[in-house]
Amino acid sequence: MAEVLLEINNLKKTYEDGNEVLKDFSLTVKKGEVVSIIGPSGSGKTTVLRCATMLTPISGGSVAYIGKKALWEEDGKVCQASRQDMKEIKKCFGLVFQNFNLFPHYTVMQNIIDAPISVDKVPRQEAIERAKMLLERLGLSDKADHYPFRLSGGQQQRVSIARALALQPKVLFFDEPTSALDPELTAEVLKVIKQLAAEHMTMIIVTHEMQFAREVSDRIIFMEHGIVQAQGTPDELFDSDNARLRDFIGKFTS
Amino acid sequence: MQTSTMLSQLASGMLVSIEIFVLTLLFSLPLGLLVALGRMSKSRILSGIIKVYIAIMRGTPLMLQLIVVYFAPYYVFGINISARFRFTAVIIAFSINYAAYFAEIFRAGIQSISVGQWEAAQILGYTKTQTFFKIILVQVIQRIIPPVTNETITLVKDTSLSFVLSVAEMFTIAKQIGAREASIVPLMVAGLFYFVFNYVVAFGMEYFEKRMSYFR
Ligand SMILES: Nc1ncnc2c1ncn2[C@@H]1O[C@H](COP(=O)(O)OP(=O)(O)O)[C@@H](O)[C@H]1O
Ligand SMILES: [Mg+2]
Repeated sequence: MAEVLLEINNLKKTYEDGNEVLKDFSLTVKKGEVVSIIGPSGSGKTTVLRCATMLTPISGGSVAYIGKKALWEEDGKVCQASRQDMKEIKKCFGLVFQNFNLFPHYTVMQNIIDAPISVDKVPRQEAIERAKMLLERLGLSDKADHYPFRLSGGQQQRVSIARALALQPKVLFFDEPTSALDPELTAEVLKVIKQLAAEHMTMIIVTHEMQFAREVSDRIIFMEHGIVQAQGTPDELFDSDNARLRDFIGKFTS
Repeated sequence: MQTSTMLSQLASGMLVSIEIFVLTLLFSLPLGLLVALGRMSKSRILSGIIKVYIAIMRGTPLMLQLIVVYFAPYYVFGINISARFRFTAVIIAFSINYAAYFAEIFRAGIQSISVGQWEAAQILGYTKTQTFFKIILVQVIQRIIPPVTNETITLVKDTSLSFVLSVAEMFTIAKQIGAREASIVPLMVAGLFYFVFNYVVAFGMEYFEKRMSYFR
């Protein structure tokens, strides 16, 4: 049986303004699995990713990676792992943003090698070798010395995927990785993600690309109002008779 | 008085003006960054104190601040003020005054960087300090060059305020010679000097701006 990499249980999130966004969200992801999260805008998909990657504090429930508790509830208070454990836990995952968030003052190469060198203490030469291989895989070899502003959105997103992969995460999250791109550029990014899926990268992908989700996912989660309304294999979901789900999928499949 | 004597006296004043300018920038830029960070600190007390400090520096005449700094050791600590302290007082007053202005520029610059930069760095494992110095600061510097240029040009002209403490810089000397010789020429020479000085500063900053425009 494959190792459990991520386990989210009964996750609750209420923002400071009192907006209860996640009510009771649970998700278990095993090594090599690709899970897509779909759902209308405002349903809490981004919030799930932000809680799981510790960009925002959770209000309740628990998050664990590779069997190590990262965040959990004790006596109604949220606790977190020790500094040392947290460091190890945070190395487990990467996140690809909707708007890339590349570092504009770094070249493509610097964007990819800087974190391995200054965070993971990888020797510079080794980091460069790794980056070259990644760029090759993502079809960006000729862009190594370019600054991000000179790249198309699709290229920028591929660089940001390379930047995440350079740290060799066990789990990679994507938050609507193609929403900022026009259809042509969307295709090239989706192709890269499919390629990663074929290489058994563990991924959790928030997306509105229904056809892509259907092809790439082992499991799809349909969220609405901060609650998992339905989940299952792509076929189960796409053939479901849940009216809301059918309606939602219909809107995004043309 | 011979023209050459006058010019050599003005030249020595010019060097003092340049010295005040350079030392002020040297101290006020890093100090301004610290002040900006303090202003944005989560500690209400620290950011409150710094708010008051900035308000005073911006809300009162620099000339008054020069006088206060000069006399403070005597009135606050009862220390006798030596004449040599005049120059030090000028540097201190200019530095803390300009630090306040630079701090507000830095703060606006830092806050203009998208939170996504911080978040991307956090996910990649950078510490807050690493993120600030490796990722944020360079972008901030690029953005704040125009307002910093404005302040720097103002500083060139403000150095002339040192005359209130009789520090022998360009303006003080030009005024003295002008009064003694009943001539407007020394002041005109001083005016020309400030103009050329600023021309050079603007040129330098423009060059720096170009050098920093390698990314967007
Ligand atoms: N920082 C925040 N503060 C308050 N409310 C927020 C914040 N971020 C998101 N929300 C709210 O949480 C809900 C879910 O948002 P989000 O997770 O971004 O949904 P999705 O990614 O599915 O579109 C929305 O109603 C949104 O307005
Ligand atoms: Mg979202």
